Amino acid sequence: MATLTRQDLNFGQVVADILCEFLEVAIHLILYVREIYPSGIFQKRKKYNVPVQMSCHPELNQYIQDTLHCVKPLIQKNEAEKVVMVIMDKEHHPVERFVFEISQPPLLSISSETLLSHVEQLLRAMILKISVCDAVLDNNPPGCTFTLLVHTREAATRNMEKVQVIKDFPWIVADEQEVHMEEAKLIPLKTMTSDILKVSHSQLFCTESQVSWLQLKHRCSRISLKSRCKT
Amino acid sequence: MDYLYLDNIDEFVNDQNKIVTYKWLSLTLGVHVNTAKQMLYHYLQQKRNEGSGTPLHATYLVSGKCVENGSKCHKVSVVREDKLNAVKAKMDVTISVHVYSVQRAELKDSSPLYNTDYDAVKENIKNCNKYSTIRCAAAVPMSSAEVQRAQEMALVPPAGKEISKTGLNENTSATPKPSAKQPAGIMGMFASKNASKSQESSKEVKTEQKDDSSLVETSKSKTASKANPMSNLFGKSAQKKADEKPNKSIKEETAASSTAPAIMKQSQTSPKSKIDIKDEQSKVSSALKVESKDTRNKTKRPEVVDSDDEKMESQQKKRRRIKKPQPDSSDDEVVPDSPPVPNVQTPSPKKQVKREHVSHQEESSEVKRRKRRRVLKSHTFVDEEGSFVTEKGYVSESYSESEEEPEPNSQAKDSSSLKQSFGKREEEKKEKREKKTSTANKPTKQPSIMGFFQKK
Repeated sequence: MATLTRQDLNFGQVVADILCEFLEVAIHLILYVREIYPSGIFQKRKKYNVPVQMSCHPELNQYIQDTLHCVKPLIQKNEAEKVVMVIMDKEHHPVERFVFEISQPPLLSISSETLLSHVEQLLRAMILKISVCDAVLDNNPPGCTFTLLVHTREAATRNMEKVQVIKDFPWIVADEQEVHMEEAKLIPLKTMTSDILKVSHSQLFCTESQVSWLQLKHRCSRISLKSRCKT
Repeated sequence: MDYLYLDNIDEFVNDQNKIVTYKWLSLTLGVHVNTAKQMLYHYLQQKRNEGSGTPLHATYLVSGKCVENGSKCHKVSVVREDKLNAVKAKMDVTISVHVYSVQRAELKDSSPLYNTDYDAVKENIKNCNKYSTIRCAAAVPMSSAEVQRAQEMALVPPAGKEISKTGLNENTSATPKPSAKQPAGIMGMFASKNASKSQESSKEVKTEQKDDSSLVETSKSKTASKANPMSNLFGKSAQKKADEKPNKSIKEETAASSTAPAIMKQSQTSPKSKIDIKDEQSKVSSALKVESKDTRNKTKRPEVVDSDDEKMESQQKKRRRIKKPQPDSSDDEVVPDSPPVPNVQTPSPKKQVKREHVSHQEESSEVKRRKRRRVLKSHTFVDEEGSFVTEKGYVSESYSESEEEPEPNSQAKDSSSLKQSFGKREEEKKEKREKKTSTANKPTKQPSIMGFFQKK
């Protein structure tokens, strides 16, 4: 496998690809595990050499793909701070949030296949953790929906509004009520560190609402966890 | 015996929220599997007797003889605790029951169980049966010479396969019916059929009952993986080779993709419905010939209650993919059966047979032949609507004179951008024109594709 250094144009692309694939699998798995949709629409597929559940519903899949397709350039340019999957009840109040925080460690190069297989191993472990997360989470009320939010750094959203990456798939600024959770508690799920990806999750647990944080530290940045916690 | 292991298991299960399978426990603690099973059992008993704290869930492995579909079989299942008694009752003779795993979470399917064991087994792959009781004297690791020989043998047929896509087409023909049934079930219902299937009470690891569905699924995933290397040969641009390679190492199945920088992305980023798989396989074979996809799609559309956009997009993706590496593929893949191209004659009958087999399912062979010829000689590119237009490739071809006519049309299309568009009316008109010219040129050669890309 070729050696890619950070200077290569493909480096960011490779890492963004890996992340987006992982996010897609994770989102589908969360939908399955948290029973947002009936399990009949899910089908077993293979990722990172283990079985995972993915949905067959075309519109759902399309939505997730389009979202991640738009997120990918942000990740590449290190403008995406975190990707949040918010699970809301019927009144559109968030009950759970799975937060993938993205930061990047100062890696200089991807130089070997063993590194990538190591990353694959870590991502497998993350998937396993998502599968068992219902042990530490309360059940959600019936009729929940989900939405995907992206927190970006600085002015990236303005560019996104100007340029539609995918036709007829506009991004809008999220409502405050979707972003803010009252009395949120943080519950750690899993932390993963590797040379190209730093992943940690922490999860907020609360009686009223639950926030699960899966922090993908794709790049090192000054993300302070405290600013996220709303108590 | 000391009871430290109980604390260990407690730490794994409660503090770390892990799934503790007996296999994982035996590899982690370095004990025989039967000891591990007993440890788990004792731990479970102790915790249940204490009746404290967090609820624990367990899965059991039940093996026994039973009669199914009129034939006797030895059934081995991994079942959840709540279904244990029911499964035991169904068996004529229960041979063994033991604890398979202990965890806090209530598992909805068996995937995490496999996931748990995967890394532990992988690390100990050379001696993963160190602690197990199953022995086979004949099962010894191959020497490196034997391994090399096996690799060489494996390389030769897949190389042939990729050129002729026989494997792909065989799989296509083998699985369309079961895959057609299941997509209809999934897509149409999203509930009843699949719910009953997927929510089987026992998570069965090796039951013969489930073999059918899992076989179909694995064959489908196989076909998907095979389809993808094939389609990916024509697939995403060569620029992406660099990032495809790392992705490849991570990605799921890298079946026969040793040659091409096959991106599994397509299958992974877009979880394919079986309909898509079917569509893509047929599309790949058709795209090679650059043919009247529309007729194929038409036959498919009534079958599937699906969004047009999705099909459109997958069509377009397919077309785009095929378009780019066309210069490469046209030499290897396309098998013209026409006399002017003697160098590819040998694989052609094979390919032809295969393609015909596929096309019979959906299209007339006539259309297929047309496609082949067209590919043979020309470069395909994507026009505005994402349909393929073939450009004359070989000047020496005898079709050259007939090529003139559709040429301006195809060139006009070529000048347009490659962006996807959804069923524009102007395009249809152009298509019709080109279709007419193509039908006129039928006897001589493959004109531009347009008939291929009939939009609704």
